[in-house]
Amino acid sequence: MKFVPPIKLAWLRFTSCSGCQLTLLNNEDSLAELAHVVELHNFPLLSSACGNAEALDVALVEGSLTSPGEVERLLAIRRKSRLLVAVGACALTGGVNAMVKGERHKAMVSIYGKAGAEWDTFPPQPIHHFVKVDGQIPGCPPEPHELLQAIAAILHGGWPSHQVMPVCMECRINENRCLLEEDCAPCLGPITQAGCDALCPGLGVPCEGCRGVVPEANRDELYRLFITAGLSEQEIRHRLERFGAAL
Amino acid sequence: MIRLVVDPLTRVEGHGRVELQLRDGKLVDVTVRLLEAPRLFEALVVGRRCDEVPDLISRICAICSATHKVTALQAIENAMAVKIPPLAAAYRELLLLGGHIQSHALHLFCLILPDLYGTPDIIELLRQKVPLAQAGLDLKAFGNRIQKIAGGRVIHPVNPVFGGIAYQPGHDELEKLAKELLCWQRDWPDFSARLLQLDNYPEASPVIGTAVATGLQDEFALTGDCLWYGNDNVIAASDYAQLFAERPRPDTHAKDATGKAGPFLTGALARDRLATGRNISRNALADHHGIHGNNLAQVKEVGWALHRVGQLLETLLRASRSEPLRTDLAQMQGGIGTAAMEAPRGLLLHHYVIDEWGTIVAADIVTPTALNQRVIAAQIMADLTDEKDHARLREVAERIVRAYDPCISCAVHLVTVENPSSLSDYQ
Ligand code: SF4
Ligand code: SF4
Repeated sequence: MKFVPPIKLAWLRFTSCSGCQLTLLNNEDSLAELAHVVELHNFPLLSSACGNAEALDVALVEGSLTSPGEVERLLAIRRKSRLLVAVGACALTGGVNAMVKGERHKAMVSIYGKAGAEWDTFPPQPIHHFVKVDGQIPGCPPEPHELLQAIAAILHGGWPSHQVMPVCMECRINENRCLLEEDCAPCLGPITQAGCDALCPGLGVPCEGCRGVVPEANRDELYRLFITAGLSEQEIRHRLERFGAAL
Repeated sequence: MIRLVVDPLTRVEGHGRVELQLRDGKLVDVTVRLLEAPRLFEALVVGRRCDEVPDLISRICAICSATHKVTALQAIENAMAVKIPPLAAAYRELLLLGGHIQSHALHLFCLILPDLYGTPDIIELLRQKVPLAQAGLDLKAFGNRIQKIAGGRVIHPVNPVFGGIAYQPGHDELEKLAKELLCWQRDWPDFSARLLQLDNYPEASPVIGTAVATGLQDEFALTGDCLWYGNDNVIAASDYAQLFAERPRPDTHAKDATGKAGPFLTGALARDRLATGRNISRNALADHHGIHGNNLAQVKEVGWALHRVGQLLETLLRASRSEPLRTDLAQMQGGIGTAAMEAPRGLLLHHYVIDEWGTIVAADIVTPTALNQRVIAAQIMADLTDEKDHARLREVAERIVRAYDPCISCAVHLVTVENPSSLSDYQ
């Protein structure tokens, strides 16, 4: 599917921290170029223009869904968008929002008081539970260039290719010190989808798994390694839970 | 009775709405609602090990992610009486200053500049090749580069960890930063003067609210142990709850500061007012445009931040590579800790109660936008009492909200959780 620039673009935000849209804006050197190939139709943080276009070329969607109103908005935008791209951990898996387990109603009341009881919400859901998703950009947040690459690829009628491999492989390529083996640190590199160039382990910080679980991840083996490294069962669960890697 | 609704507010972070009530064509009531969806961070941190909490808490808000992370760490370290090594403190401050520059540049150039030129967004200014637009983005990029180097990642930084920092950035990276800083220090006076000349602000009445800020020791800093408010009143930061007396309110998702000394005003303009006599000189210009003077105060502050980054870089370039980065704690301890920080948009407080196994049993977060909630509505009322034109009412009300540089994602995550037993089954 080829597009003739400028493409009509909207940014939809649901339950999120706005970090994914800020990541797009963090491409400061490329925004001027972007200005010539996109037309903003709904991007409240960036623009007051809310074009009521009948059809959109691309909708970028950030955040997880937590209320019927949000679902309605998502469906309306899906109906009029040729492509819909889910951006970031919140949109892909529910992200840190989805960590809250147990009875939601009780949590709502204890936090928001009486008003919390009347609030119509449900546990955070990823976008693909409700609509067809044409492309995914993982990360919490993604790397800034990934958003530009996606827009550029869409303009040319394609989608950026990515290799399916764990963060560990990027560590090997970069010859990073292994934090799991050498420091017994709770690094999720072995089961996390690569693409960040092993950003955290490269700096000596254990991977927290923000890009989500790589297909065919061997969780049992990682669990065994963590137990051997001296982590408690609860620590492991909390660690895996952060970006939906818990079993 | 006519009701005008501005929803969603644009060019502000998060989802908010303003409602204006008119009787016989005259503005009689203003409501500001902060409407972010619930993310239940409060339920999420209770029952977790405290060293895990800063990573989660930073996900409350991206613009202030560095501030949230460092403030959370500081509060937890205070609770356990952990003193971090000086080098770690310097890198954390560098990270915060990068965040300050980034956030002010985002606000001034991406959110405010379009109003000064009458366009819907900065994208249009870039199409028209307005020089200030790209220059402003370059400043934002510089702030982000500082954050990237000091924090490892621009949003949700990974370098600050419990007890200090995880790694020391490369010497060559700091040198590059220092070179770039020299250019900014050289260009800033002229650049900021051009920005200050644009005074296309709506007519405004005097600023409402009791200014409150931390970090006003002899030298201005982003963090401190005390809160200053009004005419030189001071209290310990850990006594914040008495001052603000925050309560939930049914019509908005953020708590309301009901303290008698209020309503409170926080942010660059409040800091500017309270800074008299400290090493950051007052920006007299900021008094001319009512609350829009907050923008001018931010311009002034960028100059201060650039200066402070220079001082820090000098120290850091001289630091030895073998200095300690992290204070290790043999065993977790219990305690109660508070930290007060000047986030780019105002005062931020984190407060934690931790049990002797290092588990969080209670948490409270006071955010700048929740503090400002009351004055925002009052200011709209004051500035627009004589305005009759509906389009103008909407436009100016939105610009007033924008001037506070609100961060609504932050504002709705701040409710005290004091009853851990009711939450234990959420873990
Ligand atoms: S994925 Fe991470 S960065 Fe993106 S909106 Fe969610 S919490 Fe923020
Ligand atoms: S190393 Fe892990 S936590 Fe860090 S950016 Fe990559 S996937 Fe995310």
